Amino acid sequence: MRIVVDLNRCQGYAQCVYLAHEVFKLNGTESLTYDPNPDDARRLQVERAAAACPVRAIMIDRLDGAERGAAS
Amino acid sequence: MPEETPWQQALRYANRADPYPFYAELRKTPVARQPDGTYVVSTYREIVALLHDPRVSSDVRRLPARAPAPAEPGAEPITEAVIELEPNIITCDPPEHDRDRRMMTRHFYGPTDAPHQISDLEPDIRRIVAGLLDGMRGKTRIDVVDEFAYPLPVKLICKILGVPLEDEPRFHTWIETALDALDLGPEAASEEMRSRVAGARGSVKELEQFMAGLLRQYAEQPGPGMISAMVHNGGPGGRMSEGVLASNAVLLLFAGHETTVNLIAHSVLTLLRHPEALEKLRRRPDLIVPAVEELLRFESSVQFWHTRSAVEDIEIAGTTIPAGAPIFLVYGSGNRDPERFTDPDRLDLERPDNEHLGFSQGIHFCFGAPLARLEVQVAVGEFVRRVENPRLVVDPPPYRHNQIFRGPRHVLVDIDGIRD
Repeated sequence: MRIVVDLNRCQGYAQCVYLAHEVFKLNGTESLTYDPNPDDARRLQVERAAAACPVRAIMIDRLDGAERGAAS
Repeated sequence: MPEETPWQQALRYANRADPYPFYAELRKTPVARQPDGTYVVSTYREIVALLHDPRVSSDVRRLPARAPAPAEPGAEPITEAVIELEPNIITCDPPEHDRDRRMMTRHFYGPTDAPHQISDLEPDIRRIVAGLLDGMRGKTRIDVVDEFAYPLPVKLICKILGVPLEDEPRFHTWIETALDALDLGPEAASEEMRSRVAGARGSVKELEQFMAGLLRQYAEQPGPGMISAMVHNGGPGGRMSEGVLASNAVLLLFAGHETTVNLIAHSVLTLLRHPEALEKLRRRPDLIVPAVEELLRFESSVQFWHTRSAVEDIEIAGTTIPAGAPIFLVYGSGNRDPERFTDPDRLDLERPDNEHLGFSQGIHFCFGAPLARLEVQVAVGEFVRRVENPRLVVDPPPYRHNQIFRGPRHVLVDIDGIRD
């Protein structure tokens, strides 16, 4: 699966980190790094993380609309 | 008697089940000065602006002396009762806030490079929820609050903190007595509320002493859970003073379950009021993740927050909030603001762009949000999957008195059975 985080929107709430720490990491207290192509086995975790983002900065499979349809 | 403002009406107990029409009226004046000098902010944009404004303080110690007009007579005693405790992370500002919250975050979620202590609890959560639902077998009527919404969060928070579950009956009574005594509306001056406030002082004191005792016990003999860890390992910022530690431990214990109880109870209530949404969730269980976000928006467990004040004059939405004035941010109203949410009174489990205020925003964003989400996703998801033909018995259900931590006292539901 593919994810994109809008780092201009990200405010460092770290909610995604608590839900999917293998995919999202916080460096220090503010800057977020993430795996843009996490394994599909982590989909539920990543979807939970995206829904938990207070500023809705995490986008899943937006780059390729067909991928989401194929996966679900 | 002068006519009551929409805010005062929203706070009346008779309107607890449905404050939303009064919020709609309130939003016509986004920043509304009340007769007691409090500024009530009810629109999404203004709430968010103030949540990120460094000219707004959350420090409860700034409140009484700086209030420009005397608070309503009945509101005074409980404000005093609250500040007998040292400030906790909700009621203080940076830099103390940042230092204390950072330390608590590490003990709650785990070290920064592997913060998975809370997500690791999912199997425990599933086991507790399964046990609660199994226990309903053979029943035709259940109380969703007492039999389902309450036991899960309280068991979990006790385990996380290291508070003995045997003490639950005691601290439950103290917390309930304290919550029932807080009234910031026109009914605060009533005989009934005054006697509740008198009773609540003792309860707050007992809760504080109970926690102080537990801290001392863990200081002598380390044990499992977050409280013992906080006593022994303050981290780079040093340890918290005993008073601050006790105050934050009380906050974690109380906020760590009360708000979740209300969210689970409101979620079931709301779904039973919207059969098409319930059916959709039954057919598509994966919708539970966005569904919980919508339920957080629709019936927020914290309706507003009351310890903020202006550090200097703040101009906003055509009004100047004078330095020192108390500011109430009404999350429950911002979440129903049509300027931000399309068709806000409609429940839409797939609502796009749902940047709700159910956990607030800014530096005081709900500390326990990841735990609450996990608990409610599992609890409500399993309730929907396993409970056969649930029907509301009383609608609206009776509500608890508290205006901030708003939730039903009971939600009676008739059921046909429990699926495996």
